[in-house]
Amino acid sequence: MSDSSPDGVRDRLGGSSRRIGPVLAVLAGVAFWGWLLTRWFNDWVLARVGVGPGAGENYLSPAPFEAAAETFEGTVATVGPVRLPMNWLATLFDGVALAIDIAPILADGAWNTIVLTGVSIVLGLFIAVPIAVLRVYGGPFRWIALAYTELIRGTPLLAQLFVLYYGLPLAVWINDLEMVGRGFVPEYAFWIAIIGFTINGSAYQTEYIRGALESVDEGQLTAARAIGMTRLEGIRHVVLPQTLRYGIPAWTNELVYLIKYSSLAGFITVPELYYRASRVASSTFEYTPIFTLLALVYLGLVLTATDAMGRLERRVAIPGLGQVGGRQQGTSKETRTDADETA
Amino acid sequence: MSERNPDDAGGRIESKRERESVAGTADAERETEPLLRIEDLWKSYGNEEVLRGVSLEVDRGDVEVLVGPSGSGKSTLLRCLNRLTEVDSGHVYLGETEVTGPDTDPNAIRQQIGMVFQDINLFTHLTARQNITLGLRKVRGQSKAEARRRADSELDRVGLLAQAGSYPAQLSGGQKQRVGIARALAMDPEVMLFDEPTSALDPELSNEVLEVMSQLVAEGMTMVVVTHEMRFARGGATGITFLDEGKVIEHGPPDQIFDDPERERTARFFQSIRHE
Repeated sequence: MSDSSPDGVRDRLGGSSRRIGPVLAVLAGVAFWGWLLTRWFNDWVLARVGVGPGAGENYLSPAPFEAAAETFEGTVATVGPVRLPMNWLATLFDGVALAIDIAPILADGAWNTIVLTGVSIVLGLFIAVPIAVLRVYGGPFRWIALAYTELIRGTPLLAQLFVLYYGLPLAVWINDLEMVGRGFVPEYAFWIAIIGFTINGSAYQTEYIRGALESVDEGQLTAARAIGMTRLEGIRHVVLPQTLRYGIPAWTNELVYLIKYSSLAGFITVPELYYRASRVASSTFEYTPIFTLLALVYLGLVLTATDAMGRLERRVAIPGLGQVGGRQQGTSKETRTDADETA
Repeated sequence: MSERNPDDAGGRIESKRERESVAGTADAERETEPLLRIEDLWKSYGNEEVLRGVSLEVDRGDVEVLVGPSGSGKSTLLRCLNRLTEVDSGHVYLGETEVTGPDTDPNAIRQQIGMVFQDINLFTHLTARQNITLGLRKVRGQSKAEARRRADSELDRVGLLAQAGSYPAQLSGGQKQRVGIARALAMDPEVMLFDEPTSALDPELSNEVLEVMSQLVAEGMTMVVVTHEMRFARGGATGITFLDEGKVIEHGPPDQIFDDPERERTARFFQSIRHE
């Protein structure tokens, strides 16, 4: 890709057909988020004031697609001497009808998945940063951070969720809170899932941030202390701003994992994307098309997340820190300035 | 100070008087006490003794150049002066204050003792100006506007006001080191420590850094400089201290140390670097 401004997902999809790729990616993004946003707006706002089809109701009727599927069922098209079976068209129309049917459910589940992931990753970051600092600069207290990350990373996420949900009195406490489960405040299982993902995610993020902390040159902290900053001030104002920039690619990785791991919340009855889809599948037995549609929604969320993080990385990029534009040396695209610098 | 003979001391004070009359900072009261007093410093890393009883005095306005083979303890000595490295035993005094005292806040002391590094260590994520304002704002608690004004005047002093908005990666090595000097100067230090400030630079770029340092000498700044730049040592120093194996081998004014050293070890060292 000789383009000097690589553009995340769009670039990767671009490939050889660079003109069509980005356009298609933008169209797909607009369609995906247009669907989600209008769906949420319809379910939460319009349905309350009695406008539109109502909460959770289809925009379109699946009936015409079902009828179309029926007409193609078992038919064979004859083009001259060639006879083409048309069953695949029937399957396609069936799929579209099914998609129309379960789209409201998927949109609702997607909202829960987004909130679960978003809240957990941010809370997890706030826990991970101090623990990673403790791990790298903590001296004799390093083992505390080490024990935390090893314990959390060494046990299955599902087991952690079950312990939080069934094993501790946590569920009772949260359930006793007045506001839980009323209006827009979700049920207690949702809160337990957030706690579980926050703790679990923080352990993995700690490792990523530790790696980024260690990649900051030691002289940076020395220089900060030489002008009279305390160690903590130096870490806060000099080391961490660099660390977090170095850490964005790895952190994106954790975000992508968490979007998909959040499906485990379904096992403690949180109505997120996977849980909603699997409930429909087990009542209709349409496993293959439903899980294919489910996978597409996850794909949409993940590609959006990586694209957004790519934008963030470029936005906070600073000359000489990190490798936002990819490495230049040793490639045929080596620029004059780089050659000068290394000379 | 046992290595110094009385004649040298006389010559040394004379040369300093000359400079002070230029800078106009002569102060009779301060004259009596050395600004920086180093007494019998010992430091070892594991089994390796790096400093073995180093003593040295630096008067206000003095430019003391530390020379010696690598591993002689010059850099460690510098780092002990602002407590980036803690000494095993011995004392460092800055004026009345004991730097090495158990109750002395090293963060407060480090503002009074500026340091410039061999590997420069500009804050990579900050512009030249922000490199200077960070300390003023977070350590000194200055307002944004105040810090910015001070940073700009320091950048002007080292001739880099035009590069205020550039990130370290966009500056040449010499420019970076000049920003490094400006960053240290902005904290109003009483003493500046230079740890091989030009060793990472090629000769052409070294010159612009040496010019800035010479300008500081002319302004009467008290400096302790570890360097291999013998031109600077000859032109700017009031005293040369030759260290080897963690000990002060010889101390005296530049002319004497360079041309007529008392110790055979010192003579051999200058012989060897002249051949380079």
